[in-house]
Amino acid sequence: MESAFTYTESELIQGLKAKDQKVFSYLYDRYSPALYGVALKVLNDESNASDCLQEVFMKIWRNIDRYDESKGRLFTWMLNITRNTAIDTLRSKAHKMDQKIQDIGDDVHLYTGNLAVHPSVDHLGLSKVLEKLTKEQRIIIDLAYYKGCTQEEISRVLEIPLGTVKTRMRNAIIQLRNLLKLV
Amino acid sequence: MDVQRYISSGIIENHVIGLVSEAESREMETAIQQHPEVKAAVDAVQQDLEKYVMMLAKKPPVNLKKQILDRLKENTAVEEPLTPIPQPVASVEEIPVTDYTPKVPVSPLRIWQYAAAAAFTLLVASAVMNIAYYTKYNDTQSQYASLQDNQASFASEKDSLSAQLRHAQEELTMMKDPAFKWIKMLGTPKHQGIVATICWDPQSKATYILAQKLPEPPPDMQYQLWAIVNGKCIDAGVFATGEPAKAMQKVKDVTTAQAFAVTLEKKGGSPSPTLDQMFVAGKVAG
Repeated sequence: MESAFTYTESELIQGLKAKDQKVFSYLYDRYSPALYGVALKVLNDESNASDCLQEVFMKIWRNIDRYDESKGRLFTWMLNITRNTAIDTLRSKAHKMDQKIQDIGDDVHLYTGNLAVHPSVDHLGLSKVLEKLTKEQRIIIDLAYYKGCTQEEISRVLEIPLGTVKTRMRNAIIQLRNLLKLV
Repeated sequence: MDVQRYISSGIIENHVIGLVSEAESREMETAIQQHPEVKAAVDAVQQDLEKYVMMLAKKPPVNLKKQILDRLKENTAVEEPLTPIPQPVASVEEIPVTDYTPKVPVSPLRIWQYAAAAAFTLLVASAVMNIAYYTKYNDTQSQYASLQDNQASFASEKDSLSAQLRHAQEELTMMKDPAFKWIKMLGTPKHQGIVATICWDPQSKATYILAQKLPEPPPDMQYQLWAIVNGKCIDAGVFATGEPAKAMQKVKDVTTAQAFAVTLEKKGGSPSPTLDQMFVAGKVAG
């Protein structure tokens, strides 16, 4: 099913706006692993993540006219749709704060280093980057990014003062950046 | 604004990951527009995060693509209305997740402006419709009035026609009735060429006159019919000329008569005939 050729980002956008199903199929092949990874990380359940991904691609198809190139790249836009949809699902399923924390704790893939990495990026050795982030650095990023936690919630989970959440977050992201540069 | 300080304050990282307040987020949007350095810093963090996300990429189940494409085909057949991309619901103490979803900013003022414009448009449309309907109403009203007039004139025409018909039928009945005697009265030597006819039933005594050919009398004068029995003239009433004279006119009942005569008298009739003013006369046969 993988397309033999590639589209530039603007060709992709044009094609989607013209409701070209071939372009959509290409978009799915190219981006579904990343987006599925996000949904899976948020929901921690393959069946829920599949439903979520369906919803996300339907939204991309229907709402492409609302995408504004000047505000960010297409991938960023799709990523935000995925994150928002998944976090909405998470909340609608009445996951409590404790449950969110539980999910993070149970996420063996992330914290044991046994990563389910997409083959196209695995060869870059990125999995090693994750191992070098401290557990706290990963958790603070994941709670905010994947669980939509607030500063207060993060402060409670990590038992750190509210005032230091933002500083820790910044340090975690800077660390992530430095590790990415090594690749 | 000290851009470098702003960039290194940590707000950019927290903005991208979604940990800033709404006020901070608005400030950030302004800074991004005003300072290319800020935009570049935001983009860099965004890309780091995306690389991180890519590391956790995973192939979705194989059948999912087909499911989505099938739904898409159904959807294209029956186009669903656009639904806005839902934002994560933020409770009061929560700070909303940063949202890059392009939004059409609609301020309350703008909404009022749209509402006012819509209301005004509706008002104008309504006024136009009112004028159109009022004109139409007037037209209809005058059409209705003229139809009523027509109807009234048809009704009166019908009345007069049915009256004429009834009259004609009465005349026809008399003509068919063998009891009626028809007496043709011819002009006296002074009034050659004029004619009137009497229709008389000796049993019922009903008497009619048909003034076929009598000259129009002066305004103050009127014709009067006389029944003549043994040389005596008995008044049988006055009758009209002109339009009514085209039909049979009922006059006074006549008991016996050997002859009939018509004289010209003063209006309303006379007790005895003015004999030199006799116009027509005719004898009753047998």
